[in-house]
Amino acid sequence: MAESGLRLGGLELSSRLIHGTGKFPSPAVLAAAIAASGAEMITVAVRRLHLDGDHHSELAELDLGAYRILPNTAGAKTAGESVRLARLARAAGLSDFIKIEVVGDEETLLPDPIATLEATRELVADGFIVLPYASDDVALSLRLAEAGAAAVMPGAAPIGSTLGVLNPHNLRAIIQRSPVPVIVDAGLGSPSDATRVMEWGAAGVLVNTGIAHARDPVAMAAAFAAGVKAGREGFLAGLAEGRPAAGYGASSPGGGLPEPTARIPD
Amino acid sequence: MARLTQLRHAKLYLVTDDATPADRLPGLISLAVAGGVDLVQLRRKHSDPAELSGVARECLGAAHAGGALFIVDDHVALAAEIGADGVHLGQTDLDPAGARSQLGWELLVGLSTHSKAQVVRAAGQPVDYISAGPVHATPTKPGRAAVGLDHVSVAAARATVPVVAIGGLGRGTVGEAVAAGADMVAVVREICQADEPGRVAAQLRQEVEAASPWLRFRVNGQRRKCRAGSSIQDFLRLWEVPLDGVVVERNGEILRSSELAAQLLTENDELEVVHLVGGGSADG
Repeated sequence: MAESGLRLGGLELSSRLIHGTGKFPSPAVLAAAIAASGAEMITVAVRRLHLDGDHHSELAELDLGAYRILPNTAGAKTAGESVRLARLARAAGLSDFIKIEVVGDEETLLPDPIATLEATRELVADGFIVLPYASDDVALSLRLAEAGAAAVMPGAAPIGSTLGVLNPHNLRAIIQRSPVPVIVDAGLGSPSDATRVMEWGAAGVLVNTGIAHARDPVAMAAAFAAGVKAGREGFLAGLAEGRPAAGYGASSPGGGLPEPTARIPD
Repeated sequence: MARLTQLRHAKLYLVTDDATPADRLPGLISLAVAGGVDLVQLRRKHSDPAELSGVARECLGAAHAGGALFIVDDHVALAAEIGADGVHLGQTDLDPAGARSQLGWELLVGLSTHSKAQVVRAAGQPVDYISAGPVHATPTKPGRAAVGLDHVSVAAARATVPVVAIGGLGRGTVGEAVAAGADMVAVVREICQADEPGRVAAQLRQEVEAASPWLRFRVNGQRRKCRAGSSIQDFLRLWEVPLDGVVVERNGEILRSSELAAQLLTENDELEVVHLVGGGSADG
């Protein structure tokens, strides 16, 4: 298989690593990490400006024009909030891309699948290039793709946890079944986590905390880039392993279900 | 809030008098601040400086407890000693540069002006605000001729710092001082000699607000104000907000950055001002 870039919403990105911009020790380290990662796309959040503050931004050292910007709706707790943040982000004029993120549980920061689907439908209709961050659920991923998502972004583990791939079977099934690119987002803690999902055929990964909280974020950014590249090359080379994870036998008998249109007699 | 920001937002300025017994001042200040005074100046021309230190500390405590600034008249060393927010100087006191050299740039320095020449000179001096007066003749400053509202307007037009109108002002007259261009109005006897200083302060506050050429609106849920006729861009510039990457939503409608200069603020606008920040996800 010949290698090509990551195609997303009319773009082709040569790097399959999307870089987060939160929680870095300093704007300078963030800028150096992104440079070391070779990422072309970075994700940023939308927040209220504090008038009384010094208007300092962690993005100060970055030339935003040099990157493809993937704004996210982090902080939204409902579909409506997510849609509003998306529209505000678009008005900043940097991008029509949006990573939908609707937190459904404050403890784990796991996404709300129903609100995510609702927001996806609304923002697709509004002309956005929509990348929903979602739970690692096969059916949900298919529904998001059907709703018009340009890619789906299942989480490997809860945001910021760096726990790595918690449910490899689900993630593999999503990668195999999704008609749109799958970008594994959230929870990837080490370069080998990235390699693993890329070997399975993920189109890309998004990494933030795994890099930002490393002892040396700049070196770790380069390590993740290498991990992504190794995984991609492994996938393209075709892994010498057994049957894929999807396609289990059901434990209930197939067939014999009532016709969907069957009616209970009056 | 930084002192300068607080000063910029202040409207009602209380100056204490000599007639009020020292032990009553802290209580008076508490009531006045609760009623709407933003800034208190301790002025005791006839007090023994040794006695003043203890009173000043109590007054400062009362002002700060209510969120008001506290400024000491004339006594630069006392202001520094007790941790006041600044000092107010008359034309015959220590000059502002001299006060600065003792106090540094963290404390506020205010200066009285009684003429256009003094206003012009103040523009070249290290002061944070000027007062303009006396607007009306007042027994607080016997022998000083009233300069009227004209001087307030001259000062407002020429000063680069906030202007406090002072001199015989009270209920019924503070509004016209604001209309003449004063950023703040100072009152002395009207509050100090009131039976209910808190209620009088609240009435004065109301008159000042009603006469104010400021628009009041909300930005990100907080009360803000700006001069009438200002655009959203003017407002953001006052706060030194870099306009790149900033998005404004006004009353639910998202505005493009190119529209901000043409959009004039109106009373009771609800603005959301957001910008792009670092963050990978909800925890970032």
